[in-house]
Amino acid sequence: MKPVSEMSKHPRRYLFGLVLLLGLLLSGCASDAELNTLDPKGETARQIDDLLDPVLAIAGVILVLVVGGVVYMSLRSRVSNYDSDEFPAQTTHNNTLEIGWTIGPAIIMVIVAVLTITTHLVVNDTKANAVEVSVDGATTSWEPKVVVVGQQWWWEFRYYFSEDVDAEMLGDPNNLPPADIVTAGQMIIPAGEEVELIVTSRDVIHSFWIPALNGKRDARPGYFAKWKLSADDPGVYFGQCTEFCGLSHSRMRMQVVAMDDAGFQQWIDEQREVPALPEANEDDAVSRGAVAFAGNCTSCHLVEGVNSDSYSGAAVESGAAPNLTHFASRSTFAGGILNTYNPDGSFNRDDLSEWLRNPEVVKANAANNLPDGVLPRGMPNLGLNERTISDLVAYLETLGSKPSAEVLAATEVE
Amino acid sequence: MAITEEPLALTSGETFAERPLGVLTRPQPKGTWRDWLSSVDHKKIGIMYGVAAMFFFLVGGAEALLIRTQLAFPDQGFLSAEVYNQIFTMHGVTMIFLFVMPLAAAFANYLIPLQIGARDVAFPRLNALSFWVWLSGAIFLNTSWIVGGGGADCGWFCYAPNSGVTFSPTNGVDFYAIGLLIAGIASLVSAVNLIVTVLNMRAPGMTLFRMPVLTWMLLVTQFLLAFALPVITVALFLLIFDRLFDSQFFDPAAGADPLLWQHLFWIFGHPEVYIIILPSFGIISEVIPAFSRKPIFGYTFMVFSGIAIGFMGWGVWAHHMFVSGIGPISVAAFSLATMFIAVPTGVKILNWLATMWGGQLRFTTAMLFAVGTVAMFTIGGLSGVTHSLAPADTQQTDTYYIVAHFHYVIFGGGVLGLFAGIYFWWPKVFGHFLNEKRGRLHFWSMLVGFNLTFGPMHVLGLQGMSRRIDTYSAGFGFEFWNLVSTIGSYLLGLSVLYFLYNVWRSKKEAVNLPAPGPDPWDARSLEWSVPSPTPEHNFDVIPVIESQDDWWFRKYSIEDDGSVVRVASVEEAAQKGDATGVHLPSPSFWPLVLAVGLPLIGYGLIFNLWLCVIGGLLTGGAMYAWALEPVDDPDAGHGHDDHGHDDHGDDDHGDDGHGDDDDPVAVAADSEGEA
Amino acid sequence: MTSMTAEAAAVSHDHDPHATNTGISNTKLAMWLFLSTECLLFGGLISTYLLYKTRGNGQVLPTDIFDIMFTSVSSFVLLASSLTMVLALSAAVRGDMHRTRVWLMVTALLGAVFIGGQVYEFTSFYYEGLGYTTNPAASAFYTLTGFHGIHVSLGLLMLMSLFVAAGQGKLTAKNHETIEIVGLYWHFVDVVWIFIFTVIYLIPAE
Repeated sequence: MKPVSEMSKHPRRYLFGLVLLLGLLLSGCASDAELNTLDPKGETARQIDDLLDPVLAIAGVILVLVVGGVVYMSLRSRVSNYDSDEFPAQTTHNNTLEIGWTIGPAIIMVIVAVLTITTHLVVNDTKANAVEVSVDGATTSWEPKVVVVGQQWWWEFRYYFSEDVDAEMLGDPNNLPPADIVTAGQMIIPAGEEVELIVTSRDVIHSFWIPALNGKRDARPGYFAKWKLSADDPGVYFGQCTEFCGLSHSRMRMQVVAMDDAGFQQWIDEQREVPALPEANEDDAVSRGAVAFAGNCTSCHLVEGVNSDSYSGAAVESGAAPNLTHFASRSTFAGGILNTYNPDGSFNRDDLSEWLRNPEVVKANAANNLPDGVLPRGMPNLGLNERTISDLVAYLETLGSKPSAEVLAATEVE
Repeated sequence: MAITEEPLALTSGETFAERPLGVLTRPQPKGTWRDWLSSVDHKKIGIMYGVAAMFFFLVGGAEALLIRTQLAFPDQGFLSAEVYNQIFTMHGVTMIFLFVMPLAAAFANYLIPLQIGARDVAFPRLNALSFWVWLSGAIFLNTSWIVGGGGADCGWFCYAPNSGVTFSPTNGVDFYAIGLLIAGIASLVSAVNLIVTVLNMRAPGMTLFRMPVLTWMLLVTQFLLAFALPVITVALFLLIFDRLFDSQFFDPAAGADPLLWQHLFWIFGHPEVYIIILPSFGIISEVIPAFSRKPIFGYTFMVFSGIAIGFMGWGVWAHHMFVSGIGPISVAAFSLATMFIAVPTGVKILNWLATMWGGQLRFTTAMLFAVGTVAMFTIGGLSGVTHSLAPADTQQTDTYYIVAHFHYVIFGGGVLGLFAGIYFWWPKVFGHFLNEKRGRLHFWSMLVGFNLTFGPMHVLGLQGMSRRIDTYSAGFGFEFWNLVSTIGSYLLGLSVLYFLYNVWRSKKEAVNLPAPGPDPWDARSLEWSVPSPTPEHNFDVIPVIESQDDWWFRKYSIEDDGSVVRVASVEEAAQKGDATGVHLPSPSFWPLVLAVGLPLIGYGLIFNLWLCVIGGLLTGGAMYAWALEPVDDPDAGHGHDDHGHDDHGDDDHGDDGHGDDDDPVAVAADSEGEA
Repeated sequence: MTSMTAEAAAVSHDHDPHATNTGISNTKLAMWLFLSTECLLFGGLISTYLLYKTRGNGQVLPTDIFDIMFTSVSSFVLLASSLTMVLALSAAVRGDMHRTRVWLMVTALLGAVFIGGQVYEFTSFYYEGLGYTTNPAASAFYTLTGFHGIHVSLGLLMLMSLFVAAGQGKLTAKNHETIEIVGLYWHFVDVVWIFIFTVIYLIPAE
């Protein structure tokens, strides 16, 4: 047995640990966290936060009371040995007290339950307003709705402006009907509007999560899950796949880019343009890149105007690879993990070249050197030579128009 | 005769040679390592569970440290994504199925018969079978590193269809499924065995509501196991049929629903949480009274809240699926059900505090761990309440906030409690103390290491760090707390090594220290009424129980004015452990042989069906030999003739308990005449 | 507490070996517990079948091709075996080991007829295009009925073991409880079949 004086230090150390822990919890509100769940930027996320905050406060009080009680008793009633014949009162029970602390917590839980169910009903309610958008010059009324398709290890976003999108109309997630706009990695939405999401998957279960805008919803193969989000203001909101989905789960990210009405309309107009195929010219890198693209990439990737006629999904398990028609209009690529543009606004040739050169190094995949019968998943290493890589990069830079400076700035997370 | 000590020879002078045993004889104890392989003694089996569990704790801990090393800094390539996914999967599987569950089984095996006043469990050979089958499953599972192309890479929850051959083409998932099936057989057999033991083999006067809270919690645990395991068994069979025989249970392209796996898994998986935590609750319900010098406060409430947790644990599984798309009404219902589990849990915490209240708190290492368990579990319980808010859970689930939560529950509430039990019962099991000074350092380093490791994960999760990611990028605010967490994990690892050092040194030092005696802690339950270490036959005479905490009342009585008066010293009240002629079930090698056959069947299913034949012959032969093995009871008057048929080895559950004739209830009933 | 005396340490063997706290023998209690866990096992399998029974993936469904008359007859045979099992036990209680053996054999034969019927059904389904891997409904059907079939087969093994043991004189009226315990298992397997039969053959497909 240690002497009493020495032992009494321990509870204090314990108290210190507790204070430290509370400090940790509070510092969850750090401002540089792009995925912070406690910093809502959309209505639903805020409703969730408003529910969590009081419960965290209640939990904090209970924690302090319980741990405080433990520490208090430990300091007050501690003895070093049982030499004494003096026993404490041998209290065996106290029904009043015990019924009290059965009912007490139950009452607290009833309060929490009422708060929870109220919020639950609100966040599961949809109230999308129609917005006017112009598609190919024709104005149409669109209830903002985006089909979100998860795949190993990237997200596809499909926009159907003129049709009423539901599970029946969409049919098979592996073979969705042609959409007005198909993009990948970044979902563009009008700011201030509630956007309905129809979430599905082409292979395994993924989970779509933009913490600043709403909680997450699993993307389940063979099923169209309904979800929603909204962003108060224009900006770039980060997300990460949160259901473990295999090798590159950690590198399956996405962003929601919220734009004002004019910006959103401009984005639609740009996406509806079919990029011109460069004229054949052996001396022009872009032209050579287009040829290389058609030779190397078109069995999986689609570029409108290049292989829209022959493209029938890809020979990979996931069924398709990102639509690259407007590649350069997105500020990230490779499943939302690499920036398309450098901080100075120039095209990020280095990362894109490396992605084409060694995709498996940038992002783990199962696309090369597979045993018989095992289907490839992810971007394969095609063994491209440096010249081809350089040509492809030059070509890809021409696909789509560069995003706004604000978007590019907001994409930088450092 | 399973008795090694000389004084326990048969009084009548009978020998087994006189009995016509035919070709099959049962092994005799020789005092060598073979005794362990053939032992059917619940205490030896308990110790083996404990040792094996600690081994796998080191394995799982090493995996944890690899995970934390990879995550110490952003964008690290210390482990590839492929290896990382295998490591975190095997870390979870190892810690749950190969560490916490068997360590709890160690306590259950060792203590249940002692606490209810029995000489062994109801089916000693089945008990040995449980251990060996579990161990063979555990080893099978880990051989996937060597022969399976790596560990399973689907997460311990192994969601379909990511667990299918298409997405996980190595054999890792096969090893996962078959290994857990084998381990499941063990737990199921053990659960049935221990339930029968508690229900049937209590000493005279030991009514259910006189049993120690630990026995109660272990009983609830065994019921949870008995009913949860068949469900995961179904799920694992469907998975293995899909992977090996191309059935269509989880292929969405064929119209199957991946949610089927999730439901089956979590109907098992949530009770599993209570399977992990309730033994620890039981342990600290023994430790806290002993070191508060008071009886447990509100015994009845403690028992019924444990039962309530056990029941409610069945109605909350879908809270793991709030974002799966199960529909808003289901979500609301499961959200509410989950919240109200907080009520019985809160009762337990408050009753522990009330036990301490006004007591004389003696902070031995066991008490430190017990009190630490209460505090740490409270943190885990409270964060659990925040998950029950379904809308908030859509933000929290699959983030590090969840990782923090369940480590506070499983490690803070479960493992710390098990360590309390280790320090508390060590003298009873091994006859010497673990050094208290080193124990305290072990406790404080573990507590600090634990909080440094898992405390920051609350922050990381709320900052949006996803679970199961092999790396993260700089710039999301994850760097600092990940580094803190990694440093904490190294401290935690060191504290475990220090515990092992304490075990080793304490053993060495014990020769120079006084023996602990039967009841070193002045405790309350029956195991403290017998010498330390426990004699092979447990009780010289089966005690007749007159009250709850009967052992304590043999030492003390409470006067009318409430004061406590000693009526007998421990030496006077305790049994001497020198009884002779107590007959105990004989050892048998067949449980071990049977258990060896099962992984062979597993390898056979994966690699070559001929191995199945060999494994099947081994298992079937062992069952046959088991059934024909003579019951060596020298007392033919038992009426326990071996009826020679074999109904063991039901396809999935291995054994239904029928046909095991080592029935020590006969022994337990010995003293009834004296009652 | 006075009972813990040295005298009490004397070990006497003239006790009732079946004296347990519940009055139910360990083996019988274990069998009851085991069977209750089996409920969960079959519950999981039945739920799986109910979820998948209409998921044909464009292929034939079990409900399209089963022969309800045939299975009704084989089900009746299985249920009848519960009766003969009871007769075997009651003969054993009376000490009539000859009758016991006869009824055990009849029970086993009835069980074997059921298994034979199942083999026939599986074979004919297979030739009608319903393989194990055809669709989720087929996988669920074969797995559920197959698990039940394995349970019946294990029951047959137990019955035959009893039959042999009774023939060798090892099974007597004194340990008729062994027959009772095997009987519990056998009745359980029959009762489960009532549920399975209802779920697969009687509840109409949507």
